[in-house]
Amino acid sequence: MKLIQKTSRTYLLLSAIIFILSGVMLFFVLTSVMNNRLDEKLLYNKEVIAKRIKYDYPLTIFETEELTEAENRLYPNDTLIYKDTLIFHAIEGVEGVEEYEKYRQLTAYETLQGERHKIITRNSLVRNQDFVSIITLSTIIIILLLLTGLLILNTQIAKKIWKPFYLNLDRLKNFSIQDQNAIELEPSDIEEFIELNNSIKNLTQKLQSDFNNLKEFSENASHEMQTPLAIMQSKIELLLQSTDLTKEQSEQLQSIYQAGQRLSKLNKTLLLLAKVENQQFSTKEEISLKELIEKQLENYEDFIANKNLKVTTELSDDNITTNTVLAYTLISNLLSNAIKHNIPNGTIEIIHVRDILIFSNTGLPLDQDPENLFSRFKKASTLKDSLGLGLAIVKKICEVNGWQASYSYQDNTHQISILFKT
Amino acid sequence: MSVEAEIEDGLNYLQTNTKFKYMKILIVEDEIELLETIVSYLQNEDFICEKASTFFEAEDKIISFNYDIVILDITLPDGSGIDLLKFVKEKSPQTGVLIVSAKNSLDDKLKGLDLGADDYITKPFHLAELNSRVNSLIRRQKFDGNDTIQFNEIEINPDSKVVTINDKPIELTKKEYNLLLYFITNKDKVLTKESIAEHLWGDNIEMADSFDFIYTHMGNLRKKMKKLGAPNYLQTMYGLGYKFTDN
Repeated sequence: MKLIQKTSRTYLLLSAIIFILSGVMLFFVLTSVMNNRLDEKLLYNKEVIAKRIKYDYPLTIFETEELTEAENRLYPNDTLIYKDTLIFHAIEGVEGVEEYEKYRQLTAYETLQGERHKIITRNSLVRNQDFVSIITLSTIIIILLLLTGLLILNTQIAKKIWKPFYLNLDRLKNFSIQDQNAIELEPSDIEEFIELNNSIKNLTQKLQSDFNNLKEFSENASHEMQTPLAIMQSKIELLLQSTDLTKEQSEQLQSIYQAGQRLSKLNKTLLLLAKVENQQFSTKEEISLKELIEKQLENYEDFIANKNLKVTTELSDDNITTNTVLAYTLISNLLSNAIKHNIPNGTIEIIHVRDILIFSNTGLPLDQDPENLFSRFKKASTLKDSLGLGLAIVKKICEVNGWQASYSYQDNTHQISILFKT
Repeated sequence: MSVEAEIEDGLNYLQTNTKFKYMKILIVEDEIELLETIVSYLQNEDFICEKASTFFEAEDKIISFNYDIVILDITLPDGSGIDLLKFVKEKSPQTGVLIVSAKNSLDDKLKGLDLGADDYITKPFHLAELNSRVNSLIRRQKFDGNDTIQFNEIEINPDSKVVTINDKPIELTKKEYNLLLYFITNKDKVLTKESIAEHLWGDNIEMADSFDFIYTHMGNLRKKMKKLGAPNYLQTMYGLGYKFTDN
């Protein structure tokens, strides 16, 4: 439930309860006030009648009622009994229809001119009742009007107030830590929102700067390692030129050299990853994948021939737009991956149609979770010389270009597809 | 005449009267250790090597002398190698410039090549690879690639990629040709398998199999050369690598 709904629902419920309660209260107060007024009127009428009887004035009497003995005994003089009663009579203006009508009635017992009298005065309650129902009705209408008004107003105000909030929420959802630009937030004049905006701004700035620092660090670290590695490597190569090395010495040197080579290769790859991540390959141009793939196939022909792999290609002339180095690295990694994880006498199939590139190769089933396939340093346990970074680079390249890389395995065939959709 | 001018004069004489030897190379590199290593590797190749470890020193030498090749590290403590490159090309456009950089980025490479650099190599590199680049640069600079490379009875024409042994042409695959050229430019040097693999397949090759292929290519090359009457110049060095030598 949205905050607006929650607050306005509570708000509306409370106001409904208050209105109903006050309506009921109004009803009772009005009824009692009017009854009081009526009772006073009845009392006045009774006094008039009593006076008339006392001084033998003529009286208009609608009906007479005998004073019973029991009543005579029960009610002393000056007894006043007020009550509501129903009287059956014809409705004014409507012929032949008769019904009960509510009356307020005062019965008084008095001794006038030495005789006990019972004086009954009545007044119709119909007008009162109408009055009350009108009041009730108008209260209900007022309530409804007020509630709808409040509801509309509430929604409108809320919409206006919350608009920047939702805009900012959207921007936050689209926020990427890799973005170099600071997040832009819709300003608001509400203190809470201002505070929220400031917190978000600070948080994202911190995130971005931390991320940049980390990226810079990994790039700088790899970078700084290049020179010492170059010194190490060239010194060993120079040492290898000495003619008086014993077999043992040369073997030891070889171990050092190979370890250095491995380190240097790893470092180069990590640097490449960092550079791809840091968007340092931004110059884009039209690249013919067909040409690139054919060139790479030639470069790898020894490796393909060694495993006696059968390569089939179906390459369209469609170009893709990306950075040359990235395209080269992508194809080279995909191809070397397809060769490395292939079985002897296996097949490789490369298809490029419009914006899809598919590399399929025969191979043993994965000995790991396919989810990890594109992660760094996840490699098949059988290949100890592999760095396990090839597909991580493929994924990174796809990421910076907005492409999608996916993997599937079926009938002993591994398939990696790249969807060039930007 | 000062001593330096005298030497310069003598060198100029040598340069005009010899074909390939006594090329003058200036190596600009701020890491002294690396500088020394490059110098000692190239000196054996009969190059005359001069060293500069700062921008200032390099500028000074470029003003005073003419060099055939400048090997230039573009990250120097007191200035940018790119500025130095511009300066070299302004002063003597015929000087070949090989840029050495720890930055493996294409932008730097393009910028360098745009400004007239002739080749580009990234750290860390194999000394043999550097030597091979310098040699091919010299061939391009001085002889427009038309010069042939001679090693006893072997003759290579880098321009037409034709190789002859005892004046008989030898059929080589592209890889075998590259292999032979790499060996002859680095003759009498131990070439590691890693450096050969990188030279043949590029530096993003990540396959252990490549060493087996080198072995296969070497075998084929040996056989073909033997057929045309060349002795076996290829020596195997304890599984480390190979050496091309007539000793």
